[in-house]
Amino acid sequence: MKRDGHPIEIGRRRFLGGLAVGGAAIAGACGRGRPRLNVYNWSDYVAPHTVSNFERESGVEVRYGTYESDQEMLAKVMGGNSGWDVVFPSAEYIAPMRDLELLATLDHTRLPNLTALETSFRNPPWDPELRWNVPYMHGSTGIVYQNAVSPRPTSWANLWDPRLGGKLTMLDDAPEVIGACLKRRGRSINSSDPSELRDAQADAVAQKPLVRAYLNAEVRDQLVAGDVSVAQAWAVTAAQAIAAAPDKLAFAFPTEGFPRFCDNVAILRESGRSDLAHQFINYLLRPDVAAAIVVTTHTATANGEALKLLPPEIRDNPVLFPSAEILSRGEWFVAQSSTSQRLRDRLWTEIKGS
Amino acid sequence: MKKPLAWYAVLAYAFLHVPLLILAIFSVNSSRFTIWEGFSLHWYRAAFVDRDLIESAANSLVIAVFATILATFIGTLAAYGLWKKTPSRQGRWLHSGLSGSFYLSLVTPEIVTGVSLLVFFEWLFRFLHMRLGMHTVIVAHVAFSVAYVVIVVMARLRSFDPVLEEAALDLGATEYVVFTKVTLPYLAPAIAAAAMLAFTVSIDDYVITSLVAGVDSQTLPMVIYAMARRGVNPVLNAVSTIVVVALGTMVVLSERMRSA
Amino acid sequence: MTSAAGRLQKAFLSPAAILMLTTLAIPLGVIAAYSFMTRGAYGGVEHPWTLENYTRLFDPLYGAIFLRTFWISGVATVLCLALGFPLALFIARSGSRKNLYLSLVILPFWTSFLIRTYAWMFLLRDTGLINTILQGLGLIHAPLPMLYNDGAVILGLVYGYLPFAVLPLYATLERLDATLLEAAADLGANPMTAMFRVTLPLSMPGIRAAAILVFIPCLGTYLTSDLLGGSKTILIGNLVQNQFTTSRDWPFGAAISVVLMIAAMGILFAARREGEELL
Repeated sequence: MKRDGHPIEIGRRRFLGGLAVGGAAIAGACGRGRPRLNVYNWSDYVAPHTVSNFERESGVEVRYGTYESDQEMLAKVMGGNSGWDVVFPSAEYIAPMRDLELLATLDHTRLPNLTALETSFRNPPWDPELRWNVPYMHGSTGIVYQNAVSPRPTSWANLWDPRLGGKLTMLDDAPEVIGACLKRRGRSINSSDPSELRDAQADAVAQKPLVRAYLNAEVRDQLVAGDVSVAQAWAVTAAQAIAAAPDKLAFAFPTEGFPRFCDNVAILRESGRSDLAHQFINYLLRPDVAAAIVVTTHTATANGEALKLLPPEIRDNPVLFPSAEILSRGEWFVAQSSTSQRLRDRLWTEIKGS
Repeated sequence: MKKPLAWYAVLAYAFLHVPLLILAIFSVNSSRFTIWEGFSLHWYRAAFVDRDLIESAANSLVIAVFATILATFIGTLAAYGLWKKTPSRQGRWLHSGLSGSFYLSLVTPEIVTGVSLLVFFEWLFRFLHMRLGMHTVIVAHVAFSVAYVVIVVMARLRSFDPVLEEAALDLGATEYVVFTKVTLPYLAPAIAAAAMLAFTVSIDDYVITSLVAGVDSQTLPMVIYAMARRGVNPVLNAVSTIVVVALGTMVVLSERMRSA
Repeated sequence: MTSAAGRLQKAFLSPAAILMLTTLAIPLGVIAAYSFMTRGAYGGVEHPWTLENYTRLFDPLYGAIFLRTFWISGVATVLCLALGFPLALFIARSGSRKNLYLSLVILPFWTSFLIRTYAWMFLLRDTGLINTILQGLGLIHAPLPMLYNDGAVILGLVYGYLPFAVLPLYATLERLDATLLEAAADLGANPMTAMFRVTLPLSMPGIRAAAILVFIPCLGTYLTSDLLGGSKTILIGNLVQNQFTTSRDWPFGAAISVVLMIAAMGILFAARREGEELL
């Protein structure tokens, strides 16, 4: 490799730089002729052929990225310059994202399939007119456990049992962990009372010696492999794990109450591809598409028409579609005020750091 | 002293190499669990079918090649410039400022480099209409590998006798010719070694890249990390084996070329 | 030196100077500035200048994190030195096969750090190879929890940075004058005494270099504690990463970064000696 020390390096650098950008453009996007759409979604939230079928039908090339938590997604899109077009925020993030001017309004005329939504999700509390988002998948947070664990966990309080030492995981998600601690003391998961929150923090710190790791959906493989005995997990993760190891694992909706979540599709304001984004959302709202996703990923769809297309063993899956009586113990997460948010974030740092 | 030292060396080498060998062995295990169930290459097949993996590998290679070329070029020039001391006051400021910044670069933890570049890029992009992408990753990689190039080339320069340059100057050559015809050939092995180092460091980087990568610039370490977070995965074993073998072959080949 | 030479030299240094200015000096300056600002509710920074981020570091919680990081880094460094020194000695004394043995050490270093960390995840899990073998041999009845604790992190760090330690140790030991050891033997020293009274003191420069090359990266480690510590072992690197992602407190993360950098620079300067410059 010979290096020419000619003093006019700036010119060469610019040339190489131009080459780099050009090369990157070529290397990074083969098939540049087709229109592009960048979709950023939770992991394991579409069926293997969902995206490729859309690409085939619409002629759009989709770049599909995944994330493991709302915070991860928000950190990437907060600058308003992330490059993503479609994201899937949870319900409690819709209002803050709207206030931060990160979301684009939805044009219902371009979403004819909206009528397929289940009635209970047509006017959700976090966005009654569906101006900003369309409900996608929903569920609850509860406890997954190995059948061998005895006695069976039925409440959040059971997660403080010393016998669990080292085989317990909690979610790597501040509202969830703090929520579980609050519920254990009979309080609301959305509490913004500083003393209640400090109690929650103390409880979480007290639990830490028993916690093997803080993991989100990543815990699924470890549950199936048997590395983890008890996990605080989303119903989706639980359903997927149980499907992979039906005799070994079970799920419980904690008796003290539990959070309900709903992940929604939204379009980022920074996106210049509103048409394509609407097209994609409309595609996801198709009952057959939604049903196909549910069958492979074991998620609970907000799409009422799709529900009718599901085989009974999925429609009656108590983990994904619990009875009304169980659901009555559920509580939706609500967006926090900025003071409360700051306190919660700080407490989370302290929990993680202790 | 010889015998026990030799035994110790065997153990130490085992410690260094066995974990990777085990990864390789289990990458051809047909079972996904740690019980041997028979030889199979289907995890490798799965790896080659994964669109994300292939794309991120391609991205990593492109980034590494460009970053290596830039870093080696800039670093070699800088090492030579630093080696030739200058009496002028201005030159000395430049000199100590630059070597100070190289020290700083070596000492800065990756996470700090990563967040500082992220913060800087985000601030910069409010004025230019750009966003994170391959170019930001390449710039970041050049930034942290230049210091390594400088060290390697500088080490070689230390054993270079300045008399040779002076002789060439006395014979009427210009500074530029002296550099290209006298010094550069002497530095060639070190430049090659520095380029290899820059390449490896770039291909393997996770922390900094994950912070400054954009939508289109997912790299192989980012995909590997995401897979590793989910736990053990035989496809990951297969990918790891491929990477280790590829990089290892590169190293062995370059060593052969150097001693040939 | 002619002015043409001066110009040439400036030309050679300029690209590097521009690069380091824009990618190191200015970004670090921005970080330092952010460390005195206030966090935005969902990330970013806002105006009131404040010292709060630094005073917050006096909380014993963060002191504990710093201490834990220094402790883990220190143990990993000592282990690297202890394990690396005999190996370096072996290579230095292996005559004609020196290059081969050296390459065998360097080879893992060239392959991915991330992958080498993953290798230990594979080995140490409850259903991993080591536990499977031990249980198969009947030596234990329940899997040993070897992953997701400080020990696993130290193991990962030692495994990752051992080659960093061996190289400078080897460089120093290789240059050691063999006649000194002959002289010691002639004066009646046995090999052990010669080791401690001659070899070790003379290899101090290499030991210092190895210690710095291992300790400082360990201080800022992020990946190893993230994958092998199970997000329970929070070290400084993880704390910084948290602030810039999930905890959304950029100014606090910036303050921690500044303190970490000052600590690392301090150690580097304290350990430097005349004539041992890297650059």
